[in-house]
Order: sequence, then structure tokens, then C-alpha cells
Amino acid sequence: MRYLLRRAGTSLVVILGVVTITFVVSRVVPSDPASLYAGPRARPAQVEQVRQDLKLDDPVLTQYVSYLGDLTRGDLGISFATRRPILGDLRSFLPATLELALLATALSMAIGIPLGVLASSRRGKPKDSVVRLFAVTSVSVPVFWSALILQLFFASKLGWLPLSGRTSSNVEFGEPTGFFVIDSILSGSPSNVWDVVRHLALPVTVMAAYPTGLTVRLIRGSMLEVLGEPYIEAARVGQIPERTILYQLALKNALAPALTILGLTFAYSVSSAFLVEAVFNWPGLGKYLTDAIVRVDFPVITAATLVITVIYVVVNLALDLVHAKIDPRVELS
Amino acid sequence: MKRFRLIAVLVALTFAAAACGSSDTADGDAGETGGAATDGSFVYAFPFAITDLDPASAFSSENVVLQNVYESLTTFNPPGSAELLSPSLAESWTSNDDATEWTFTLREGVTFHDGTPLNAEAVRASLQRTIDLDLGAAFILLPIESMDVVDDLTITFTLGYPAPLDIVMSSNYGASIMSIDGSTQDAAWFNEGNDAGTGPYTISAFSPNEGTKLSRYDDYWGGWADGQFSEIDIQLVEDPVLAEQMIRAGDADATNNLPFDSYAALAEEESLSVVKGESMQNLFGLLNHERLSPEVREALVLSFPYDEVAENLYGGEATRAQGIIPQAVWGSSTDLDLPETDLDAAAKLLADAGTTDLSVTYSFDAGTTEQQQIGEVWKANLATIGIDLVLEPLTFDARWELAQADPANAQDIFTLFWFPTFVTPYDFMFSLFRSEEAPFFNLGYYSNPAFDDLIDEADALSGTDREAAIELFQQAGQTLIDDNSAVFMLDVPNVNVVQSNVEGYTPNPAYAGVIRFHELSRNE
Repeated sequence: MRYLLRRAGTSLVVILGVVTITFVVSRVVPSDPASLYAGPRARPAQVEQVRQDLKLDDPVLTQYVSYLGDLTRGDLGISFATRRPILGDLRSFLPATLELALLATALSMAIGIPLGVLASSRRGKPKDSVVRLFAVTSVSVPVFWSALILQLFFASKLGWLPLSGRTSSNVEFGEPTGFFVIDSILSGSPSNVWDVVRHLALPVTVMAAYPTGLTVRLIRGSMLEVLGEPYIEAARVGQIPERTILYQLALKNALAPALTILGLTFAYSVSSAFLVEAVFNWPGLGKYLTDAIVRVDFPVITAATLVITVIYVVVNLALDLVHAKIDPRVELS
Repeated sequence: MKRFRLIAVLVALTFAAAACGSSDTADGDAGETGGAATDGSFVYAFPFAITDLDPASAFSSENVVLQNVYESLTTFNPPGSAELLSPSLAESWTSNDDATEWTFTLREGVTFHDGTPLNAEAVRASLQRTIDLDLGAAFILLPIESMDVVDDLTITFTLGYPAPLDIVMSSNYGASIMSIDGSTQDAAWFNEGNDAGTGPYTISAFSPNEGTKLSRYDDYWGGWADGQFSEIDIQLVEDPVLAEQMIRAGDADATNNLPFDSYAALAEEESLSVVKGESMQNLFGLLNHERLSPEVREALVLSFPYDEVAENLYGGEATRAQGIIPQAVWGSSTDLDLPETDLDAAAKLLADAGTTDLSVTYSFDAGTTEQQQIGEVWKANLATIGIDLVLEPLTFDARWELAQADPANAQDIFTLFWFPTFVTPYDFMFSLFRSEEAPFFNLGYYSNPAFDDLIDEADALSGTDREAAIELFQQAGQTLIDDNSAVFMLDVPNVNVVQSNVEGYTPNPAYAGVIRFHELSRNE
């Protein structure tokens, strides 16, 4: 408990640091938020009025204190470009990205871990070579390229899967969670679930490619190290079945060091989803953030950076806790 | 191990099933996201974010939605029509002799989406809200001094100075009529996806980063016929490659703003129609009068590769500009005395003026291939006469800010696209060339009191004696050419790609990018 409180404290310092830096940068970079808010072809008087309304003439310190006050009340401000509350936008965009990243991470582990174990158990054999080639390819191919190729083949040429979006145009259901897999199940309509799954297939596959290759390589390396340990040798002498040795004795210890990297890969997926989201027109956090960067919409940039920071911090903390749980040698102190 | 195997099998099955699930669409003729073939829905893959649904302040790509949800008193007809305007919410209108008093008689039997009837008070309240907010295109209503509700279906406008209010009321922006309840709402209410119009569609869902969905308004005064579209899905598709794939696969019924060099190949597709409208938007380079001498400005005008640019850029779809007024705008002319590319004459001008080794900056929108290519072709020409053209790509906001800050240290050439808020030559001439105390869009810093008087007089005549107004506007257009105020480059058309089985689409450049979905139907 004490550990958790201490970690929460340091996490708050990290978050405050990021908020401060992004806020300061947003005020230093030359741009005119009032012009953006006032819209195209706005006349000088209109822009000036907006500047006063948004209190952009206040000293930066006053604006900063006011911003922190808003944050403590859960108010992330309004977008200068869309004039909508950012919190409302994030409720829609964040689940879209998290859904992609979670499924991609799950898929990468479901494929990567067995393949990593397989490769380590066949070290130097043809199966090992094939798996390693697969891993290198998965890690090396740029996502925007694989996204376009899969899109061209499965959607445009074959017509098997949809080109873009989260659902078909004529499919509608309530969005209580924003996670469409869950929401479509809650809608009680199998066709809705099916539509959502089909839309997820390509972007999840593309997004899973890099972490899959990474998982294979990490698990393989980690397993090779563990498989050389004396207790494994002892188990083999004791004629314990190879499958039990690999998946119960070795994998448990091999998994722990790989887990940290995989967790950070998930957080990285969230912050780097924009390429996949751009190609598949996926209305997620990455697309929201890149649109904001293009428009120099600083309240959105600051809020999205804050959200990504929080995800990193939470994932880090969760990883430490999980690490301690599966590896008794790790102490939370 | 069993658990891992189970997960792997489940994942594999899910993806295999997802991939095989709809082999019936393998021919790509009935798209997944489009699904428009039989269900009365229409998908428009639209490249620009829609960020403001308040018709009083919206002044950008929102017209693609708002023109289907709201109506104004009049509608501007496509070029080639017998009349300039058609009745819309107003059935008829008259003005006094000097165009300072206008009376509009409203259409009977029109209702707003909240069920309340259209009446003169709603018209007054709508326009008053736009005037009071003073955002977006509210300036088009500046001539209005007072509005008097004569009776339920008659409203009289008294203007502070003569103006063509019938054309003003057809404006792409700022002239929408909303219900009395809508007139009391703030921007947040509209941007939550609420609407208060009379148009054929209501807004059913809205997200600035995803798109907008419209549903048909059953009690629309224009009525509904079989085959018209009930549901419209305007999807934000910023990536032109994806938009092209969507239209080819049938996932979208229409799209626009694709790369111009893709239209020739798309036109070959039997299932698609490439529809090129006439142009009311143009591209030009404003020449900085604070920095460039008359001789240098003339040399720049004479060195521009007019024909080369028109033939080779924008897929050959653009045409050489005939002055500042695009050809589809009333008041344009093909008889103006235009300069031709003449590098020898340009070189002589510079030599006579003793100008050597000059460096000229060309400010253009970063990421716009065509503006960059124009700069490069022009640069090659200028290099032969001793001028170094320095290309300066920046975002529009950044270069606009720089251009407004200090004319004497600003760019030499400012490229700009322009389209009219409502269709009048005055929009181009007033916004871009009328004398300004502080620079706003007159970013060549041109100032000519005789020109100012000429266009003001032409505008005053626009409401009453359009022929006389046209003559004055053409004189003013020639003045701009003779003064080497700018390099008038191209009239650029708006091109839409539409599925061939969609009928009824007529492009109207007065409302660029807008598709009036109520006019469409699907021919199965």
C-alpha cells in the first residue's frame, strides 16, 4: 500500500511535469489561437473579441494556474478548432484507439508467445529459422505500407473486408462504453458484432505486426536463457514431459522480463496509432491528435499528451505489480 | 499450453471468418461501409472536417451539411440558367428603384424541423441573430439597417446603402433561416448536433472528426419521391488515396478533391462519373506594392508561364484566369486585355530600370503540389531574366499572419485561392483589392481610390441595373490588370466523382463542394 502511494505521488509529479512543459511550449510556439477559434476569413475585430473572450491576453502564469484549476475539476478545456469540449471528444476517440491497441496486443501475444517458445525449443532448426524470419519481417515492415497492401488486397480487390471506419454506414447501436466490441454485444444483435469484428480485422492485424515480431524475439531470447538453467536440466533428467517443461516451468520465468517491454509496446501503440488510424480512417486518439497538430489546436494537443502520459504511467505501474505477482524474486519497495 | 492453443485457434478462426464473411461483395459493387445499393442511403466521402454547425458563424466546409439542412430566401442558379436566382423560402421579391428597400414574400406551408411554421418573424430573428453574433460571413448583412415584419409572410428590409439583397440572400454562408427557437440557441447547442432548419434533411449524428449523418425530414415542403435518399452519411475521409479506393470499391457514392491527375483514370470506369463543374474559384499571386517597383511587377506579370501552367497542372482541367473574376461568376469577361508571357519584354523592363540580381519571395500553402509546381516553373522563367524566385511554403495561417504584420518586410508574392461568399464580382474586388487601413485580405497592399470608387458604384448598381454594374466591374477588372496588381493564374474547377447509378447531380459552383442530396436518386 505504501508502495502504491509512493508510486502515485511520483506519477503525479511526472504528469504535472508533462502538463507544464506542453503548456509552456503551446504558449511559446508562434501561433494565434484566437484566429483559429474565430475561423477562416475572420476580421481583426472578431479575432480581438475572441482573444478577450478566451482570456488569451492574460499573463501566461495566470493562464497556467487557471488551466491547472480546470484540470483538477476534470475540465480539459475546449478545442479552438471545433469549439467542442475536449473531454467529450476524448470519450469517443480514446476507446476507439484503446480497442485497437488492446486487441492488437492480445493478438500479438496469442501469436508471438507460442511462436517464441516454438523457436526456442527448435533452436537452429528450420522451424526456428522460419519463425525468426517471420519475426524480423513483422518488425521491419512499415505499418503504413502493410496497411495499404492489406487494404488493397482484402478490401479493394477481394472485397472480403471493409476498407475503413469502425462500422458500416447503416449499422447503428448505442455506445455506452465506446468499445464497439462490447457495445455491439450489448446491442444484442449478432450482425452488429459481426460488422464490428470485420472492421477491426485489418487495422488490428496491421497494428499487431510489430508487437508480434517483438514478442517472438523477446520470448525466444528469454526462453533460451531459461532453458539453460540447471533446474530445467534437472527437470529433463526427471523425465518431465517437454511440453510441461516449456510452457509451465520455463515460460513462467521467461515471461517476466518480456512483459515490461510488451507493456510499454502497448502504450507505444496508443501513442503511435495515427498511421494506422489515418489509413483506415479510424476515428481514434492518434487521428484526433494529428488533426490538432496540423491545426495548431493547443488545448487538444495538451489534453491528448496528458492522456497518453497517464496511459504510460498507469501501464508502468500495472507492469510492476504484475511483475511482482508472477516473479517472487521481485519486491515492491 | 491448452490455453494458448485455444486462444490461437480462436483468434485464427475469428480472422478467417471475418475475411471470408462477405465473399458476396467480392466484385466490389456493393461496398461494406457504403451499403448504399438498396437501402436508400448515400455516402459522401468528404475531405474536409466539419467543425461548426452554427449557420450564423459557419464559414468553411460546413456548407456541405448546412446547405442540405437550412435554406435561405433565394438560391443562386448554376451557370447557364435563364435566371440568376430561383425562389427558395421566398416566393417572390421586389426592391425600390435605388435598391435600398427590399420586400420578400415567403413561401406558404413551409415548416421548420421542430414543426413550427416559417414566417416573417422567424426570418427576422434568424438574420438578427447572425448580425448580432457578427461572426463568419455576417458581414454580408452589413447593408441591412432595419427589418420590418409586414405580415406573417412578408418582410421588408431597409438598407443603409444600395445592395443586391436578392443575391445576398442566396449566399453560401450567413443567410440561413432558422426557427424562432433556434434563434435563441447558442453555438454549443448547434454543435451538439441540433438543428433548426427547413431543409430536406435533419442532422442525426455529428462528430467533427468522423463526419455527419443526415436523415430525411418527412414534412419537407419540396416533397419526396420514390428513389430519393433517406439517409446521408458524410464521412470525413482526409486521405485522398482512401477516398479513391472507396469510390472505386463502391463504398462511397461520391467524393471530391481527389488529385487532379486521377480523374482521367476514374473517368474510364463505367461505374463512375467524373463531374466537372464550372469554376467560381481562382488562384492568383498578389504582388506586394510596398516592396516591388512598377517595373518589377510588370516583369513578374510578363514572365509568368500562363499557357504552360494551364495545360500541365490540375490535370489540364483548369483554365487560364481572365482577370480576377472567374468565368462562371456574373460580370466576368473574356474580352479583357490580358498580358502574355514575354520574357524578352520582361528582361528589357528590368534592364531599363537598372534592376539586377533581384530576389523575390513566393509565399504559398505548404503541401499543395500545384502551387509548388507553379512556383518552380515560374522560377525557371525568372532565372532567365535575372530574378531569383525564393519559394516559401508555410501553413496558410502562418503566412497570413506574416503578411498582415508588416507589408514592407512581408512576402513579395502571396498566392491565394478565392471563392465568393455570395456570387458577385464585388466579393473578389472588395476583399482582395479595395484600400485597407490595416491589411486583411488585400495582401498585395494595392490602393487605388479611383478603383475603390468604381467598384463601390458597381456594387450599388448590382441590385437595380445589373448590366450597368457589369460594365463597371469589367472596367475595374481591366484596371487591376493594367496596374499589374497581381498575376492572375488559373480558374480551378470543382470536380466530383459520383457513382454512375446516381441520377440528378448538377454541380453548382455557387455552392462549391455541396451536393444537394434531395435532388438525387439511384437508378438501379
